[in-house]
Amino acid sequence: MSGRGGRGGRGGRGGRGPPTNGRRSVAQNSVPWTMDSDIVLDGKPSERFPPYNIPKAAPLSKKEEKQVSYFLIFREQCQDSPLYTQARTWAQTSSTARTYGQEQLNKRYGQITKATVDPFTAVPTYSHKFQKTPRTLPNLGSRPFAKEFFPPELHATLDGDDEPSGPATKRRRVGPKTLGLSNITSYRTAEEVFLREGQQPPLDGGANLDKALQLLNTLEKRNEDGDEEAFLSGGDDDDWVKNNGEDDEDAEAEEDDQYEDDEDDDYNAEAYFDGNQDDEDYDEGGDDGGDYF
Amino acid sequence: MLVTKPVTELCALLIDELYGELPSRIFATLLSKGKSTLPQLALHTSMTPRQLRHGLAVLQQHNLLFYHLDAGAEFASYEANAEHAYNLVRIGKILEMIDSSFGAPAKDVMQNLLLSGQTRISDLVAAYQEKIEQANMAAALMGENGEVGSEANGVNGDSRPAKKAGPFVKSTAHLNSIICRLVEAELIDVVHPKTFESPADILKVVEKEVMDKYFPAGVKGNKAKVELQQRIAEGLRKVRGESKSLKRKLEQNGSAAKRRKLLAGLSGMTNGVHDDDMDPSLDPKQVIRINYEKCLVELRNRRLVQFATDMFSETTAYVYGVLLKLLTKDLPRCRPDPVMDIAEDEEENEKKGPGFVTTEQILDNLKTSVDLSLGIGKAEKRHISSSAAENIRQYPPEKKPKIEEAEVDGEASEDEDEDDEPSGEESDHDTDYKAPMMNGINGVNGTSGAKVKFDESAGPKEQRMDRPTQLRQHLLLLAESTQRFVRHCGPNEWTVDFPPLMNALREVELDSVIERTSGRQGLRLVRILRAKGKLDEKALPNVALMRKSELQQKMLEMQTAGFVDVQEVPRDVKADVKKSFFLWFCDVDRTLDRLLDTSYKTMVHCIQVLEALRQKEKDVLETTKRTDVRGREKDTMRKEYYERYSRFLECERRLFAQVARVDDLVSVLRDF
Repeated sequence: MSGRGGRGGRGGRGGRGPPTNGRRSVAQNSVPWTMDSDIVLDGKPSERFPPYNIPKAAPLSKKEEKQVSYFLIFREQCQDSPLYTQARTWAQTSSTARTYGQEQLNKRYGQITKATVDPFTAVPTYSHKFQKTPRTLPNLGSRPFAKEFFPPELHATLDGDDEPSGPATKRRRVGPKTLGLSNITSYRTAEEVFLREGQQPPLDGGANLDKALQLLNTLEKRNEDGDEEAFLSGGDDDDWVKNNGEDDEDAEAEEDDQYEDDEDDDYNAEAYFDGNQDDEDYDEGGDDGGDYF
Repeated sequence: MLVTKPVTELCALLIDELYGELPSRIFATLLSKGKSTLPQLALHTSMTPRQLRHGLAVLQQHNLLFYHLDAGAEFASYEANAEHAYNLVRIGKILEMIDSSFGAPAKDVMQNLLLSGQTRISDLVAAYQEKIEQANMAAALMGENGEVGSEANGVNGDSRPAKKAGPFVKSTAHLNSIICRLVEAELIDVVHPKTFESPADILKVVEKEVMDKYFPAGVKGNKAKVELQQRIAEGLRKVRGESKSLKRKLEQNGSAAKRRKLLAGLSGMTNGVHDDDMDPSLDPKQVIRINYEKCLVELRNRRLVQFATDMFSETTAYVYGVLLKLLTKDLPRCRPDPVMDIAEDEEENEKKGPGFVTTEQILDNLKTSVDLSLGIGKAEKRHISSSAAENIRQYPPEKKPKIEEAEVDGEASEDEDEDDEPSGEESDHDTDYKAPMMNGINGVNGTSGAKVKFDESAGPKEQRMDRPTQLRQHLLLLAESTQRFVRHCGPNEWTVDFPPLMNALREVELDSVIERTSGRQGLRLVRILRAKGKLDEKALPNVALMRKSELQQKMLEMQTAGFVDVQEVPRDVKADVKKSFFLWFCDVDRTLDRLLDTSYKTMVHCIQVLEALRQKEKDVLETTKRTDVRGREKDTMRKEYYERYSRFLECERRLFAQVARVDDLVSVLRDF
């Protein structure tokens, strides 16, 4: 016999017999309470979440702090640029986390449409005028491109002429295209608006509040003079797209485009309704539809 | 760069973060499906061609695609540029690097360039022009009602965020000069028609050209094959060189430093404004973009300086930083391209490597405010083996197995500042190299008289060393370290062998990871294994002086983590478990690969956690996006909401910082 039997004296645990035999004999003889009659058993179940020493990352060094803020500012600027598409069509609440194959993956997108809009928040209210309409396509027409480095099939798109309904409703753009520089210069945690760059936010809120009040005072004074925009660096959102004042409408048109299924449609219901723009009473600019020709 | 699944996910997430969902979807599909045309993409993504065209245009504008258009073909085929997509994560670092070494205006320019992707110089200038004008207008307005402003400012310090936004770049001449400087530093390069051909396509084209031109009858024999390789490499290098055309043009007029000197000679003192006018105006038709490769070289320098700071002192690291800066000025990339550069080496062997820097050059570039006497210990003369310390190694070390470098890691601590310990160790195996003597140094380099004197004078009297001597001490210190920061490649000439040094750095990174996951004991065991090679399970407890059970537990733990592995060697045909050997070993390369993969996954998780947080705080974030709330969060939002918002921002910062840290590791493992 090989040395595998080990403790052969007590019924040969790994021996020839069926395993249940072995286990029973172990249970009879060698469990703690038969050997030690005074033992107090701790019958409690083990803790579900035993204390665990969570490793914590070291606090950021000054350099890292700077790197992260530069990245975040960059991201802010990117998201403010005409090339950014804000719209998300990916529904978070999809049932399965796993996808098999491209088809299922594709189905995850396109979930947020007009059909899935939340009826409780979709009713137009006053505060909607402060919400930006998410763009579903980048606003390529507003800025210049070095077209020789794009494949020819994209050239029309770069001009902003890539409209589904063909050249008939083509929008004429006025003025030269300019490359706008972002006005966002800081990643705004709320403190930063009131503090100078580089200054650490104070720990107590009192000083902050003071500053805020002062700022509001100056703001009011300035408001009388009428150059609020220059004073508050952020806030105005159309510095990217200079010479075309059709910002809002653009976004809207593009949003509509997303929900169109087919390219050439002779009955375009959305265009029918959007044509007369009467329902745009909360639209800030008060466009008169003069951009359509 | 090996594009694995985590990399794909990471790239898609990054693009999603910066450019939106549409480009991200297309990019992910391109990565998973490979080269595709527009109709193919439409098939894969089930998006409309119009959406695809827009998305592709954005990607192309941000340099994230390669495309290839065959003559006469209707559709171009696109390919994802995963490397550039990955580099998006480094933007914070790159901007910080430019900020600290070129100043805030340069950072501003680079940021705008990154923001708008590849840009024609004239467009960039126009954009800046407009901004400058705006700033001037604003300044004029400010001036008009300056009383209000000054009153407010008197109380408030500086409450004008608008003020600091504009005048980073003061004039178009200033902008021009900044672009010139960045181009000269190779951080910006020119876009040319072949930029967007994928490397494989370029290779194909060049190969075809070479075959048509030189080998119309086909390649026969070994000699012809070698020649073919060389010709191809030459052709590829020519293509690559095109992106540096702007730099070459600038260099024809003399580099910025030269021009500055010239100006200084003409008019005594210079100031910034004069400088700007001296720079030649750039061709407004040129299209420029960021050159990530060179940025990586700069980032590597910074990482190495950090490494030197950890090993020695700040002063030594500063000296090292200056040396690296000089050395890598013309180094285009961290790792030479296998096809292009190896052939180059064969051609001109003496030009191999980054060249060298002399002590004088370093001295000229040191800031006078830096006190070089810090960070050098003093040892008695008899402790110093000057011949070993001054030893000159003309050639880079042969490839040693990595184990040897890591093995002595432990002693690379601050006590090396006393020159005796390393020099004693060096002299063991370097005694046969005694040829380069002191007079050799004297003969070549006229000014080094003072340095030679050091060896005699800096003895018991503890004389104060002069600056060049101190500098030399720092350099020798670097050269003597086990990591081989610097190689003393000639009398007063210094160079850096990057590959072995980076290997050492990789080892250090790996060691710290092992220490964090399996503790000091684990690290010790791994080091023992590296030193001894494969070790039998039974022999290991004796060598490691640990109890068998403890040891086994530790080893298993490390095996699960992938740091060590076990090999079973049967003693006879039956392969009896009892009788066979179990050999523990650690395979450094495999561990590093695994570490790299884990790092990618960690980064992906960080960004996914962020996304989950966003979903959780959705209502708050939607509020903050409103135009009336933006920037005035604290006033307009309810306290409880505001607190949630700031907590979210804090989390976001931390997550991105974590991503950046993991990226530090990735860059050491993969790119440097």
